[in-house]
This record gives sequence, structure tokens and C-alpha cells, in this order.
Amino acid sequence: MTHNPTIVVGIKQVPDDDEVRIDPDTGRLDRSSAPAVLNSPDRNALEAALGVRDDVGGQVIAMTMGPPPAADVLKEAVAMGCDDGVLISDIAFGGSDTWPTSLTLARTAEYLDADIVVCGEETTDSSTGQVPPGIAAHRGWAQLTYVEELEPLPEANQLAARRDVEGGYERVVADLPVVVAVAFGENEPRPAGLHRKIYAENEFEPVTVDANDLDIDEETVGLEASPTNVGGMETIEGVDRERTVVDDVDELAEAIRSTEVFA
Amino acid sequence: MTEIIADRNTETPDYDDRFDAVVVGAGLAGSAAALTMADGGLDVIMIERGRYPGAKNVFGGVLYTPTIRKLADLDDAPLERYIAERRYGMLTDHDETAISISPGEWHEPPHNDSYTVFRGEFDEWFAEQAVDAGATLLTETTVTGLVRENGRIIGVKTDRPDGTLRAPYVVLAEGGNSLVSERAELKETEQRGNVAVAVKEVVEFPDDDNAIQDRFRLTGDAGAAYHYFGEGAVGDAFGGGFVYTNGETVSVGLAYRISDAVSGQPNPEGTLNAFKTHPAVAPLFRGGRTVEYAAKTIPEGGADSVPELTHDGAVIVGDAAGLVLNNGVHLEGTNMAVESGFHAGKSIVDAAEQGRTDADALSAYAENLEASFVMRNLRRYEWLMEAVENDREFVFRELPQALADAGTEYFRIDREPKESHAENAKERIMEAVGGYTGAAKLALRYRKIVT
Ligand SMILES: Cc1cc2nc3c(=O)[nH]c(=O)nc-3n(C[C@H](O)[C@H](O)[C@H](O)COP(=O)(O)OP(=O)(O)OC[C@H]3O[C@@H](n4cnc5c(N)ncnc54)[C@H](O)[C@@H]3O)c2cc1C
Repeated sequence: MTHNPTIVVGIKQVPDDDEVRIDPDTGRLDRSSAPAVLNSPDRNALEAALGVRDDVGGQVIAMTMGPPPAADVLKEAVAMGCDDGVLISDIAFGGSDTWPTSLTLARTAEYLDADIVVCGEETTDSSTGQVPPGIAAHRGWAQLTYVEELEPLPEANQLAARRDVEGGYERVVADLPVVVAVAFGENEPRPAGLHRKIYAENEFEPVTVDANDLDIDEETVGLEASPTNVGGMETIEGVDRERTVVDDVDELAEAIRSTEVFA
Repeated sequence: MTEIIADRNTETPDYDDRFDAVVVGAGLAGSAAALTMADGGLDVIMIERGRYPGAKNVFGGVLYTPTIRKLADLDDAPLERYIAERRYGMLTDHDETAISISPGEWHEPPHNDSYTVFRGEFDEWFAEQAVDAGATLLTETTVTGLVRENGRIIGVKTDRPDGTLRAPYVVLAEGGNSLVSERAELKETEQRGNVAVAVKEVVEFPDDDNAIQDRFRLTGDAGAAYHYFGEGAVGDAFGGGFVYTNGETVSVGLAYRISDAVSGQPNPEGTLNAFKTHPAVAPLFRGGRTVEYAAKTIPEGGADSVPELTHDGAVIVGDAAGLVLNNGVHLEGTNMAVESGFHAGKSIVDAAEQGRTDADALSAYAENLEASFVMRNLRRYEWLMEAVENDREFVFRELPQALADAGTEYFRIDREPKESHAENAKERIMEAVGGYTGAAKLALRYRKIVT
């Protein structure tokens, strides 16, 4: 890899999980009153990206797609130590599902000359995990998912990752440019420095880009271009317990035998 | 990298001495000081450990607004209800003797400047007023210590990396648990006898939309503040109980001496439950569901415990300076916090104009506070806590019992003449107060409550 890679981190503003109330009367989730915060798996992505910069230098740029208030998460990323933040905002993007979203983020990464794109494993509000692989797919770049740890290999212009797999881990090396999805909770996100936080919250202004800047055909994004079609929602009713009381083991065995548990 | 990024400068500036003042804690006292200083043209930063101002504030509570009203426009403040009725109830195990006051005047603006509020909402709003006036608010950051140079306080240390911030003035507004001021030896750690433990629950009534209006006999935005003392409130501890109506919920809590919590009433939650199930209190909470529980400490050392308020480069305000009046009849800290923040802020504005940071240049704060209701009220009631402590058995146990018994006797319906009922009632009182001589001594000892 170049010794000064451009590392772009995709982050998102989501309703605060801790403040999502369960209405005690209806049992439904009430998201409307929850304040918007940075998707917490994205903190691990930011930490991983800043860790690469610690090792080999370069620039870490946070990007988020959303309406202007979403700039708050960019301020948080800059407070943590990112060099800059880009707000991707356009009415044309409204209603995008994971397909146009990853397309837009992929275009932005290219626009920013990204060598490495880092994302969180998934977002807490939609939990698909499709966006990071989507970015890679749209550009034909390599991808590393469920990453626990990154190891830059600047001489070889490659990035190595330790991946979480069932029963252990594997080490995978990818050529640049590459898209990384960092496994949730795998690193300890660094706290923002005091002076950096004051700067980020009070003086920093993100760069804003729209569909035109990114050379994106408006027909290819937004609700219309989103293939997801929600077929309907079903509430699963719990099964009533029979609560049979038996007096001894034989009776228990008999009771079980009469069910389909064992023949 | 693209040019749009390469051309930008996002280096971290050095904020040392970029702000005129750092305020530690964005509670009522801190925001009042910040707002006053910002209005006076100073650059101020408030550092708050909570996620937002008020996030961690536990409070009864009736907010007293005479000073806030002067600093900000209360019209759009998040107030719950104004206090239209105050009730003082004396509880034995199973009796209540109460007086209730509800002057017509309280229904009219400014409602005797007494409102129930949720501090989580109110403090956030009040800090916003300071920000609107130009102050900067930094949350999720805890001040861990002060920075000194040649004895003068020149800044704060925080729990963040690169966490020191220098500024000419530091306002310590960290509340009752004042670790920063104590660590810096600006005040002594309070003795247990001078600190109350406070527990509070917020109760809602899911099955009864009119619970609050009906049970407290209220209409519109009117609200009630009930205070209780005696054995039925906090057992044999020194303190009392309270019930306040919010918009849709009711706050119920207790405040009593930490020393009693350690020895006599070790379990605040259990003591609160006993209070809530007292026959005079329980009907207020029938069908209620607790939605919030919290515990905190209240300084109640009175004027004696107020530390040196001004230092070279720093002042102490609000609960951090022990400015709470808590004597059984009054529980007032919010008005004192705001008043002290206001005077402290003004003295800093004046000192800054002279380019001075020494304690002498800030002495107007201590002088103005001394002349204000804050220190005058604390001094006025200084003796009361001590007197009550000495008469504890009488005030919290014997008197409530004697009054309940006397009431029972006086209003007894049987075939005896009223004359003998009155005689019995008087006897019960006389017995409790120790005859005419005892009554005279008590009257003398407590005359200052009314004179
Ligand atoms: C249960 C209870 C009931 C009460 N009822 C009433 C009532 O009915 N009426 C009344 O007038 N008063 C009442 N009081 C007293 C009143 O709450 C206080 O007097 C008042 O809140 C004091 O305001 P303050 O700004 O000094 O401190 P606080 O309100 O305690 O604010 C201090 C702020 O500083 C922050 N902070 C603390 N340490 C740090 C640090 N190291 N770094 C950064 N930030 C820090 C805290 O998070 C907090 O936001 C009650 C108190 C309690 C506990």
C-alpha cells in the first residue's frame, strides 16, 4: 500500500438503542422519541481505521449519507481523530435501501480516492450487514468481513486481516483498494481528545457532496431504485405451556412418550 | 486524495486560554454563571460529565425561579405544574395531623415562583439559554482536577486524552458530590451528620388518566407539594418525606441524614416503601407504577459548612458550596444555586474588565451572596437544625403522636361532654411538651421560626 493511504470510514446516524422505549402497554418499540446517535458498531470501524493510520500514516475521512443533521456523527468521528468528514446529502437519495446506499457510498469512496474503506459490521436500526460487501461489489474491490484486527502491509500494497470464523480465526490478505467490515466490539474505540472534541463540535464543518458532485444518475438511487420489497410483517404468538404436574419419573416418561418428542 | 479534502485545514487548535472561563458542571448553578458571563461578553465553556445537562440530576423537586426569571424567558421553559397547595403532614405509625395552605395568589402568575420540573429537561433547557447567549457546552467530559501555577488556579484537567484546558477563571459548579473542590482542598469533605441521603421515585398511573387531578384536587396546571415528617415518614431518622405532582406523574421521596442511613435506616429503598404504604400516603399512589428510581446526597450543613467561596482564579457556587436550605419546613437549593451562579458570574465579568484573577478581585461574589437571601436564610436557620437534633425524639416522635392523640380526643364522639374531651386533648399536649414550663422553653427555643 502507499505509505499514506486514504482511509474512508462509512458511518451512520441511528436511533439510540438505550433510549428506544418499549411501550409498557402495547409492548411495541417506540423509536420516535429516541435521540439520534452514532451507530455503535461504527465506533469499532473508526478505531480500526485510526489504528491503520497510527501504523502507516495517511488520512482517515469519515463519510455519512443522510440529511444535514446527520453531520453530527461526522463531528463525533472528527472528535475521535478523523482528519475530515464528508456529508453525502441529496433528496434523490431519500428512501434508498442497501443497494443504492452501497452504490452511493462506493461512488463517494472512489471520489475521495480511497485506498481502504472501513465500515461497521451492521447498523443497529436495520441490521442487514449488506452495505460493506455492497460497496465492494459495486466497485469490484476486494472485501474483508467480520474483521477482528487489521495489519497494513505497506510494502506489498496489501492489507491483512484477522477474521472471526467458527472455532477460531483466519488471516486473509487482500490487495488494495479493499472494503473492510469490522466485527462489533472487537476493539476498544478511543475516547476523543479534549481539544479535538471542542474543535469538532464547535468549529469543524464537514464537506457536503450531492448526487451531481458524485456523478450519480438520480434514476439509480432513492426509493424507486431500491429492490427491497417488504412482503408484510407477522407477529409470532407464543405457545401456551401446558404445565402438567407429574408425580414420578414413570409418569413423566409416559407423558413425554405420548407427545412427538420421542417415539 | 481529492483536492476538496487536501485543501482543507482541520488541525486541532490549542484552546488553552482561548476561553475566559471554564465552568465545571452544567447544573443550575453552572448554567446561571455561564449565562451571566456570556451576557457580560465573556467566552465561556461549560464542561458537563453527563450525556446532556441534567441527565444525571436527581431532584424532588420544586424549582424556585425568582432569579432564573431575571436571567431567561421562562415562557418556553419545560415546567410541569405551579405549586397551588402546600401541605405539611406529621405522621406517626398510623396517624396524620396536617395543615394545608393554598392562597388564591398562588394561582396567579408568577405563581410564587414555585414549579415542579424534571431536571433532565429543565437543566438541558437552561444550559441551552447559556449556549444561545454565546457559551460553549461540552458534554460527556468529567473534570478530574484543577491546574495550579504559583498557587493560582489556571485551568482544569479532564478524563480525556490531551485533557487539560487552561483558562483565567474556573467556576466550580459540580453539585453536592464535589470531588474536584475537595481534591483541590478548596473545601473539606462534609461530615456525615451534615449530609442527607435522598431517594426519589417517579410514579405514573397507567389505568387512571385523572389520578393526579382527582387525588390532589387540582385543575389545569395547578400542582401540589406535600411535606411529611415524623416516625411514619422516615422512621427514627432525622429528615422527612415529600410528594410533588408533575404533569402526568408524581414524585415521591425522602431525605434524611446519612449518619442515620448508616446506623438506623440502612435501606433507603425500604424506608421509602414504608413511607409509600403509610395509610395517609398509600391512597395517593394506588394503582401507580414506578417509572424511575434515583438516589443522591444533599448537603445540609447550613451557613457553618459554606467553604471559602473565592480563590485565586476560581469560585465555588451552588451545592458544591453547600448552599442548600433543608430544615424540614423548607427544602430550597435550586434558587440558591442560581443566585450564587449569577453573583459569581457577575464578579468574574467585573474582575475580567480589570484584568485581574486574584481572590480579592472576585470578593464581590462572596459579599453579594452574604447580602442576598441565600446566606441570610442559611444563617437564619442555622440554629434550627441543631435545636431539632437535640429535640429529635420530641419533634419526630412525641409531638406527632401527641397531636394525633389530642385530635382524636378533641373530636371524640361519645356520651361524655366536650369539656372532658378538650381536657384530655390538652393533657396529651401538655404531657408531650413537659407542662407549662416545657412549653415556654420550646416556644422560646423555636420562636425564630415565626419571628
Ligand atoms: C432528592 C432531592 C430533592 C430536592 N428537592 C428540592 C426541591 O424541591 N427544591 C429545591 O429548591 N431544591 C431541591 N433539592 C436541592 C437541589 O436539587 C440542589 O440544590 C440543586 O440541584 C443544586 O444545583 P447545582 O447546580 O449546584 O448542582 P447540581 O444540580 O448537582 O449540578 C451539578 C452538575 O455538575 C455536573 N458535574 C458534577 N461533577 C462534575 C465533574 N467532575 N465534571 C463535570 N461535570 C460534573 C453534574 O453532572 C451536574 O450536572 C433537592 C435535591 C435532591 C437530591
